[in-house]
Amino acid sequence: MIAAIAEEATQSLILEAKDVHKWYPNGFHALRGASLQVQRGEVVVIMGPSGSGKSTFIRTFNALEDYQKGAIQFDGLPLGNDLRHIEAIRREVGMVFQQFNLFPHLTVLQNLTLAPMLVRRRSRAQAQQRALELLTRVGIAEQAGKFPGQLSGGQQQRVAIARSLCMDPRLMLFDEPTSALDPEMVREVLDVMQGLAADGMTMVVVTHEVRFARQVADRVVLMADGEVVEIAPPETFFTNPSHERTRRFLDQIL
Amino acid sequence: MGNSVTRELPPGSLQRCKDWLRKELFATRLDGLLSLVLIGSILAALFGLLRWALLQANWAVIQLNSTLLCIGRYPIEQQWRLWLLAFLLAATAGASWGLLRSCRRADRPGLLWPRNDRIAAAVLLAVCLIIPPALGLSIAIAGRWLAIAVLLMAMRWLLGRIGRRLGADAIKWFALVWPVIYLLGMVLINGGFGLTPVASAEWGGLMLTLLQASFAILLCFPLGVMLALGRRSSYPLLRWGSVIYIEFIRGAPLITLLFLGQNILGFLLPGGLAPERVWRAAWVLTIFAAAYLAEAVRSGLAAIPNGQMEAARSLGLSTAQGLQHVVLPQALRVALPVMVGQFISLLQDTTLLSLIGLMELLGTARTVMANPDFLGHYGEVYLTLALLFWCCCAALGLGSRALERRLDPHHLPNLR
Repeated sequence: MIAAIAEEATQSLILEAKDVHKWYPNGFHALRGASLQVQRGEVVVIMGPSGSGKSTFIRTFNALEDYQKGAIQFDGLPLGNDLRHIEAIRREVGMVFQQFNLFPHLTVLQNLTLAPMLVRRRSRAQAQQRALELLTRVGIAEQAGKFPGQLSGGQQQRVAIARSLCMDPRLMLFDEPTSALDPEMVREVLDVMQGLAADGMTMVVVTHEVRFARQVADRVVLMADGEVVEIAPPETFFTNPSHERTRRFLDQIL
Repeated sequence: MGNSVTRELPPGSLQRCKDWLRKELFATRLDGLLSLVLIGSILAALFGLLRWALLQANWAVIQLNSTLLCIGRYPIEQQWRLWLLAFLLAATAGASWGLLRSCRRADRPGLLWPRNDRIAAAVLLAVCLIIPPALGLSIAIAGRWLAIAVLLMAMRWLLGRIGRRLGADAIKWFALVWPVIYLLGMVLINGGFGLTPVASAEWGGLMLTLLQASFAILLCFPLGVMLALGRRSSYPLLRWGSVIYIEFIRGAPLITLLFLGQNILGFLLPGGLAPERVWRAAWVLTIFAAAYLAEAVRSGLAAIPNGQMEAARSLGLSTAQGLQHVVLPQALRVALPVMVGQFISLLQDTTLLSLIGLMELLGTARTVMANPDFLGHYGEVYLTLALLFWCCCAALGLGSRALERRLDPHHLPNLR
């Protein structure tokens, strides 16, 4: 009975980071034993002051940053130095960057079809059909033939989200997706993300958008100085946090 | 009062011309004086050159030696092979041209290739019509040149029509025709496979120059890209190896390396394997150019933000796929002007081969000038040489600028 419950719990667990430490080559101790568990279908928002290691932490989840101590597992697959595991995990984990990182020499449609055709071996027609579906979903199907440089920041970030979705990921990582946007474009990107969450996508989001965290997150995480300080549901996190450090942080941003 | 309506017309072209002159050249007294002095000296120089070229110069030296300057002492009975090669090249070039101008734009309706390629076509036709009679070539030879030009234009027209139906992939596949033609050309020039061999010592003139330059350009490109990637690699042996190669080659003058190559390659390789002198020189040129090209590519790679590779990797692409599809296309586009600059100086560096005794364009020209029949006609020969080199370099430069515009998504006309 207990074993069955435990097994169900591990089955719905999609990402587990345990006691992760990272030192940069210059000796800076960026992550000091950070741990996090993400369940399938859950939206986790990571907040924290700048330099707290939240971007570094989320980037270890698809091995864009390596770590020296601890363990990360994605869907039961250990994420260490084994390149085959790393590439298998990257195929299943989508990432959206602060600076969009669209490929400027390719059209929007080509940006979306490149990885499915190369990595998933889909035919051009299949990849294009899926790409157009997703562009419609993020509301910019009419821009498919344009180059990224011809779009606004908000449109570019929506293209970047669609590009990740083209690989049908099981987990989406967002690294400050709205921080490089002009204020009037933040809403359109957050709306797309909210829609994704409503459709049941598992998401880990590093952001400063309090409203988004309150409305969409299942749990909110506070990171400070490379450590996870507090994990709580949004109501508790914003109104009645248990840690002094969280209270100080909220005082500064609210 | 008549019923005449006074309408304001835009100033006529003569008026605009006057306005432009006043504004740009004669705005102040000092400007005017400067303009007059400069225009005067330019006209005087031009007049002097024309007077020498038309009245004093004896162009017989070029007319009588045009074949020698073109292909050196290539045996007469085998020259049909070179004509065949010229026809093949014209057909391939015409086909590529046609395909490129039929390309559709990805971002909006319309064709990619600029409209002014008609001017290029007209210039090419004019050259093929004017030069052969000016050189006093026989009707048969002039006819062949005309046929080559007509073939090129016909292929350009034909593939321009067909290309619209073939789509973008056809161009990628067609690019593979070029290596095939190049290898075929090597066989045609060299002999073998049933053709009478022609020793490389008998190759010469413009043909040898272009052969050396194209060989070095084609091979130094992949080598240079690999060296540039090696220099940025995280694998130390590869990185150090690339750095040592690049810095050693860039630290030595080309002429030293050429002499070194002529003398050392024979000792390094067991007897019989050492390539002939022409090929030794070609390899030295390649090795030399690759080091400089690597630095150009490296500057291009450095201009591409890390985020590009991170995005490619996070989508599941391997490092090689990320380089091939994301980083290199952008980096090479950034490095293109510098790379073409390297190619142009490589073409000009082939003249150094005359110092190690190869009969390329300059070497052939010097034997012509040493011929007692043509003593003293240095001006005519050197001017011809300069014009030939200028044409080749200008073609490279124009081609690269067209390519640059075509590859740059940020300079699309509707972006402004």
